[in-house]
Amino acid sequence: MNKIFAVLKREYLSAVRKKMFIFMTLFFPVIMAALMFIPILMMTKALGGKRVAVVDGTGRLAAAFDKPLKPRLATASESARGQKGDLPQTLDIEYLDAHGQDAAAAAKPYLTRLSAGKQKSGGMDAVLVVPANAFEDPNAKMTFYSRASTDIMTQERLSSVANRAMQRQRLTERGITSEQLDAVMRQVPVEGVQLSRTGEQKKGGEMNFIFAFVLAALLIVPSFVYGLEIMRGIVQEKNDRVIEILISSMTPFQLLTGKVSGVALVGLTQVSVWLMTLAGFGAFAAASASMAGVNVLQFLRPTIFLYFIIFFILGYLTYVCVYAVAGAACNTDKEAQQLMAPIQMIMMLPWFMMMAIITNPDSSLSVGFSLAPVFGPVTMFARTVASEPPLWHIALSIGVSLVTILVFFWATAKIFRVGILSYGKRPTIPELWRWMKVA
Amino acid sequence: MSEVLAVREVVKTFGPVRAVDGVSFSVRRGTITGLLGRNGAGKTTTIRMITGIFLPDRGTITWVGGGDKPRDRIGYLPEERGLYRQMKVFEHLLFLAEIKGVRGAGVAQAVDGWLERFELTDKRNSKVEELSKGNQQKVQIIGTLLHDPELIVLDEPQSGLDPVNMVLVRNVLQDLRKQGKTILLSTHMMGEAERMADDIVLVHRGRVVLDGTLEEIRTSSGKNTVHIDYEGNGTFLGSLPHVINSRIDINEAELKLSDGADPQEILEKCMGKLRIRRFEVASPSLEEIFIEKVGAEALEATP
Repeated sequence: MNKIFAVLKREYLSAVRKKMFIFMTLFFPVIMAALMFIPILMMTKALGGKRVAVVDGTGRLAAAFDKPLKPRLATASESARGQKGDLPQTLDIEYLDAHGQDAAAAAKPYLTRLSAGKQKSGGMDAVLVVPANAFEDPNAKMTFYSRASTDIMTQERLSSVANRAMQRQRLTERGITSEQLDAVMRQVPVEGVQLSRTGEQKKGGEMNFIFAFVLAALLIVPSFVYGLEIMRGIVQEKNDRVIEILISSMTPFQLLTGKVSGVALVGLTQVSVWLMTLAGFGAFAAASASMAGVNVLQFLRPTIFLYFIIFFILGYLTYVCVYAVAGAACNTDKEAQQLMAPIQMIMMLPWFMMMAIITNPDSSLSVGFSLAPVFGPVTMFARTVASEPPLWHIALSIGVSLVTILVFFWATAKIFRVGILSYGKRPTIPELWRWMKVA
Repeated sequence: MSEVLAVREVVKTFGPVRAVDGVSFSVRRGTITGLLGRNGAGKTTTIRMITGIFLPDRGTITWVGGGDKPRDRIGYLPEERGLYRQMKVFEHLLFLAEIKGVRGAGVAQAVDGWLERFELTDKRNSKVEELSKGNQQKVQIIGTLLHDPELIVLDEPQSGLDPVNMVLVRNVLQDLRKQGKTILLSTHMMGEAERMADDIVLVHRGRVVLDGTLEEIRTSSGKNTVHIDYEGNGTFLGSLPHVINSRIDINEAELKLSDGADPQEILEKCMGKLRIRRFEVASPSLEEIFIEKVGAEALEATP
């Protein structure tokens, strides 16, 4: 026991003293926050405007195009539902009333400016030509000119503004007043309500979506970072031959236990700091969200934190064991990373499917993943955040994970024994299997 | 004298290679046993089995020393440096003691004592990687001794040491022996083995080819070896009558004579041709015995 503790202490201290650890611990939440805020910043600051000409053959759309088109940004709850606002770009519009003229001919100078490019002052990014017969002829077509055929966003915005203006005018022509029109065209917004098994209702569940993602990232990132760390550590111990001293002083099981729990403590330390930071941010966010009528705290049930810790440890230990095997089996970091690359992809599966899991937490896919070994901890945790899975699912998932860890741990200790001192080329997976049976 | 360790018919195979092929020997309490052999003879593999790193395929290694945990009663110095490069010397030594189950204030004191003896006190708070190779080796040796082991297993302890440090280490080992510790010393430096070892185990190609006390081995190799220190050209010495084996260096020669030959004849032949500074009839040196036992075939095999 003392030996396990000695290894644990060494692993822990040498890890937390590293500059990288201190940096990651303090700044990862900041980086995460930055990653979330930069798009918003970009939206408000815009990508830079575009200059667009509208050549109106009908002469009746002046009101729609008399001022620059500001982007309509999605609200937080809309973007949480996956809805998007306009592209964060302001369109500066030069409107030409070409009523009574040939619209195509009137557009000529603008088209010249369009092809001249943007660099020159007075250059154009796009030109929309509305034909004179747009109101009457059912076959009439507007024409959109741009240098980039991919500029469908601008095309879409201009055409929808033009069409909406024409629709309104057609309706007013038929005797509908402006007030009636507003009443007719009014859209009914949707509010999401999560209904729990106890019948409790929660509004604003879109926020949950974000929390589930953030927490899942916090769950998964340290597992990979420290898995890699433990792998490198073992490879280095082999290269420096420290491993001979260690193995001659304790059993591989003691060594592995000490290492894994030491590294697990490092991860827990880091995650606790992150959670506290997040709680700080959360309190701030909750205050601003509650002003908007959403009670954020109803989603951050205390049990979520409990589940977080449980599934963090389970997921962490599973992944770390896998990395430890790679470290024990290989002689260089490069070899180990090559061996791990395909395995890593498989282990990342729940993360790739996070969207599907969070949006359908009770689908058979989500349930299947949450009860499977290796994938269980991350998936199950995402499910507990997004909905309220039955308790026996949670219990079963924890059970499966524990068994998985035990099996992995046992296998790792065996491979450790053989692999750790076999110098030479990287073993193949069938060879690893053989070692496990031999040791 | 009682045994501390008994190695019996131990076999270890790596794939097609039989690294250790039925090795047996004993280590007597309170002695220094020299485990000798050429590179790749199986010394390190044997030592790794004794220290529990490898399990033997066959055979037994019996610990008859005190205590039921041989792991903690053995101090092991691996052939290559086995230290964490990033750790500080003092902390590292405490860690090495701790994984052998020793901790507390006494250890810190012991560490400082040893650091002083090995002239490393000023390196106490340096990182291991900042130390020279020789100093790292000394740190490693201290790490081997901190838990006051009964059996000290050293694999090439003097590699990378300068002559001053070599003497230092030799003195430390001899002091330990005086204190009743048992030492198993693997080396290919015959001179060192000759100066320190009580017992010799010579392995070749995974087998023990010679085993006994240094005295026995030397006596059994006969008393008719002539050691000569001289000035002049000694190349003719090897072709003198009755000389069956010879090693001739500049100003120094070792001649093995056939049984019954009179060394006096050799001396007579030398007179007038060489200035003799030393002429001694004795047992062959360990190096000579070593080469005779394991070197001959290698020399023959080499084209």
